[in-house]
Amino acid sequence: MSTATATLCECGSGLRAARCCALDPASVPPAESTRHLVPLVERAIQAHRSGDTAAAERLCLDVLELAPDRPGALTVLYEIRKAAGNFRAAEALVRRIVRFDPNNFWATNELTLLLLGKGDLAEGEIHARNAVRIAPENPQAHNLMGMIMTEAQRPAVGEYHYRRVLVLAGNRDPILLANLAWCLKTQGRMEESRALYQESVAAAPEIRQTLLGWARMEEADRKFDAAMEVLARLEQVAPEDPNIALTRAIVLGRMGRYDEAVALLDGLAARFEGGRLGPNEMLEKGRLLDRMGRHDEAFAAFLDGKAMARELSGNVYLDAQASQMVARLRGFFTAERLRILPRATPRRDVPQPVFILGFPRSGTTLVEQTLTAHPRVAAGDELPLIHDITGIMPRMLASPMAYPEALAELWMGDRRDGLDDLRDYYLQKVRQMGVLQEGADFFTDKMPLNETHLGLIAMLFPEAPLIHVIRHPLDIMVSAISNHFTHGMYCATALETAATHYVRVMDLVSHYRSQMALRYLPIRYEDMVADQEGSVRAMLDFVGLDFDPRCLSFHENTRYARTASYAQVTERLYDRSMFRHRHYLRHLEPVIPILRPLIERLGYSVDPD
Amino acid sequence: MESAVPGTAPADIPVAVPLGEVFAIANEFERTGRVEEAARLVRHAMESAPDQPDVLHLAGILAFRRKQPQEALALMERALVLAPDAALYLRNICELYRTMGRLDDALAAGQRALALAPRDPMALHNLAILHYERLEPAEALACADRALAIEPDLPGAHFERAEVLLLQGAMAEGWEEYEWRYRIAGAPQLMPPTDKPHWDGASLKGATLLLIADQGFGDVIQFARYIPWVLERAPNIAIAGSVEVAPLLRQIAPGVQIFQNWAECPPYAAFCPLSGLPRLHGTRVETIPAPVPYLRAEPARVERWRARLDQLAPPGVRRIAITWAGRPTHNNDRNRSAALADFMPLAALPNTALVSLQKGDAAAQAGAFFGRAPLLNLGAEITDFADTMAILDCVDLLVSVDTSVVHLAGAMGRPAWVLLPRAPDWRWLLDRTDTPWYPSLRLFRQDTSRRYRPLIAQAAAEARAWFAKYHCEP
Repeated sequence: MSTATATLCECGSGLRAARCCALDPASVPPAESTRHLVPLVERAIQAHRSGDTAAAERLCLDVLELAPDRPGALTVLYEIRKAAGNFRAAEALVRRIVRFDPNNFWATNELTLLLLGKGDLAEGEIHARNAVRIAPENPQAHNLMGMIMTEAQRPAVGEYHYRRVLVLAGNRDPILLANLAWCLKTQGRMEESRALYQESVAAAPEIRQTLLGWARMEEADRKFDAAMEVLARLEQVAPEDPNIALTRAIVLGRMGRYDEAVALLDGLAARFEGGRLGPNEMLEKGRLLDRMGRHDEAFAAFLDGKAMARELSGNVYLDAQASQMVARLRGFFTAERLRILPRATPRRDVPQPVFILGFPRSGTTLVEQTLTAHPRVAAGDELPLIHDITGIMPRMLASPMAYPEALAELWMGDRRDGLDDLRDYYLQKVRQMGVLQEGADFFTDKMPLNETHLGLIAMLFPEAPLIHVIRHPLDIMVSAISNHFTHGMYCATALETAATHYVRVMDLVSHYRSQMALRYLPIRYEDMVADQEGSVRAMLDFVGLDFDPRCLSFHENTRYARTASYAQVTERLYDRSMFRHRHYLRHLEPVIPILRPLIERLGYSVDPD
Repeated sequence: MESAVPGTAPADIPVAVPLGEVFAIANEFERTGRVEEAARLVRHAMESAPDQPDVLHLAGILAFRRKQPQEALALMERALVLAPDAALYLRNICELYRTMGRLDDALAAGQRALALAPRDPMALHNLAILHYERLEPAEALACADRALAIEPDLPGAHFERAEVLLLQGAMAEGWEEYEWRYRIAGAPQLMPPTDKPHWDGASLKGATLLLIADQGFGDVIQFARYIPWVLERAPNIAIAGSVEVAPLLRQIAPGVQIFQNWAECPPYAAFCPLSGLPRLHGTRVETIPAPVPYLRAEPARVERWRARLDQLAPPGVRRIAITWAGRPTHNNDRNRSAALADFMPLAALPNTALVSLQKGDAAAQAGAFFGRAPLLNLGAEITDFADTMAILDCVDLLVSVDTSVVHLAGAMGRPAWVLLPRAPDWRWLLDRTDTPWYPSLRLFRQDTSRRYRPLIAQAAAEARAWFAKYHCEP
């Protein structure tokens, strides 16, 4: 390996690290001193336009070696890397354009779309907001906000921005209508969504994403035949689109036609490179095989799907970060400190939050559907607000430290009401998100792993009921390995890291509970199945609600739950998911030592029957 | 537990230092509390003489002192294999088995020790303690009596007699024997040396009587009821009492000087520990003064805690306060403390919240409790007894093992159910479900299983009926 190659940046841009990801901004020469490079940049643009990618690339690398902030060269190199599918390098390059030129709308738009594509909604939101700041009357800026907010589970905010696009653009762009339709679907407004899809498809009948979204909407609304019809239309437009087979398989799976669904996916595999399905298809196949009792094959598919997802996304568990965060929270939230920290004053003039806590896939959706079947409880779904508050806290409290240490500001005379401000931030966002509903005195927030911030939540809302959904840890592991989710610092990208993170968070919960008085109720998923009424009554008593029999038939709750559990919670309570891990004990062996102490503490056992 | 008696050292074995000498030094270290140094020497001795029973036995004692009971047992059992008729080993292993809860093994060892050395007062003393723990008071008393017949001034045997007699309600003799408590080896000193007399209960007008709030918090709360009786005879008193109990004593004796440092002790004519007052008062089971409530919660604190509890459990949810462990240094803590997990049956009551008042290390168990009722861990927010009393005013019932919180509830006249080990402290007497010390308390006694879980299941079943009778059904 030559020295030059050895120092190339890991991102794959082709630049040296010192001129790329390890760039020291102080080393960037002033623009005037590199003006002589402008003709080279123009030649690069020209070459790129005329299709001479090699020449364009060489010119860009030469320019950027001397002037790493030249936006033209960065842009051309970005286009080249993006076209070649090198998204890591593309992201690094477009990020640099935004850094050196924060008002560049085009680059901001590109970066936001990249981040959206890889599921980094938190950072995507920052840039989408910047796009609106840069160009408040640009429809695309609002479109970005619409997409990000819809995906970040704030569809009411997303809807606002999509509707701004309609006004600003002055037309009814079919793609926009489809985006808005998807946004309404996530809010459970299926009729409105359907009407928009119909309008969009009438205007532009051959847009794949639109047809696919529509099919998904029909599937979520349990209109399986309609979903199949839309998929048939899509097949005419794009017979090779692999999403057709995947979505058909999902619909067939929901109809209980597992054999056909698996056959479809197997047929699809032949069309993929190397005969392998993609990560989503692989997990879907695993879930179907699980339903069919073919457990060895199912688990193999789960592991394959996870491995592929890691490969494609580059996401792995942020182990060191998670360990450090947990240690800091444990260190800060101690009984001695909590005794002298203030609490926010409960607001009596607004509906009260009910926090539904738990690891992803532990049954939080089931509990939310149950509670929100009560007329006095509105559904908030997964509200990202507690996480947001941990981010904005230093600014709100004017603290030089991060959360949780920033809470030390509450001892200052001019910051002692700081928690009231943070509480109001949360409540205001809840209102903006359209969570509150007429006649409801409570609303739910079921963001998984909010229990990581149990101490903060109890300080912000000392009266709020905290319902923690407990489930056999090995069942949670089976669910975690058979579904994709990014919560918990990407812990679910592998079985062992899911177990590690779960133990970390549960230990942290134990710590909070031993250090402070919490309005905390553990609810076992298994009890919900075995003694549904007893569990429902316990929860309603705990929240302070009268019993309502509608909570027992939560599957008739018309609300659409947008998380991966939606297909399950629209079925009657079933025990198929209870102790499902017993089929996989052999496969779960690597995580049993990690989980065993917790399994015992929770009163479960590792036992084949 | 005692180590080898003088003259039983093993014969010298030629090592750098003769083994006998090493053993003697180790023995001396053990006697004078230099446990680590003794253990080091014994390890050295064991390398030279791995099968020397006296060395193994001493190593066992040292392991016991270092809180390694399993290792102690293995060493002592090995010593006994090598020397099956060593009465001393049997006497000591009897005590070791007892502390490990193996009461039948303890009895067999103790009885063999006694058969081999019928006039060993310490063997009888150990057996007396064991019989108390087995709840065999007649046998315990007989053993203590026999020990005292051999060695009339053996403090431990007198104290054991006191405990048995008081447990049986024979208070006249019991209180007299109870006075031996300060003479037991290792008992904490009541006060700095003094030439002033122990008060005899006679009128002491014009001079100051010094009362000492001795023993645990529960004892102070229990015996503080005698202070008004004292004031009738000695109107000028000062009290030596810890900062924790001072506010309680102030309620009973307003305006009285209560101090924490002996340097602040005023001149006094006589002294008396609070725990000595029942004897002076001449208390018998039927004359126990129970002027409840003699402690009251502060109204402002009650309001504050009521508001806090309303935040944590909606009104209408029944509140049962609980504590599951006492002070870990109490010599019967092993038997009297439960685990929070044992309270699971109470957590199965409908429409109920458990309110933990637990303090100390055991409070950490609150983090791992997953019962069906919510557990409100107020222990983390409680700073003093005034908080605990205020909370007791806001709950429907206290269910607790034998801790100071029980005494607080009793002194306040609040309903409390006390979970007692198989062999309870003497103050709870035998068999009865009530206590003349505190009319609002009800006693739940472990059966021969010596387990708390079934006892708490029984309490939970009765709580259901009790609430149905006295409170509205949820």
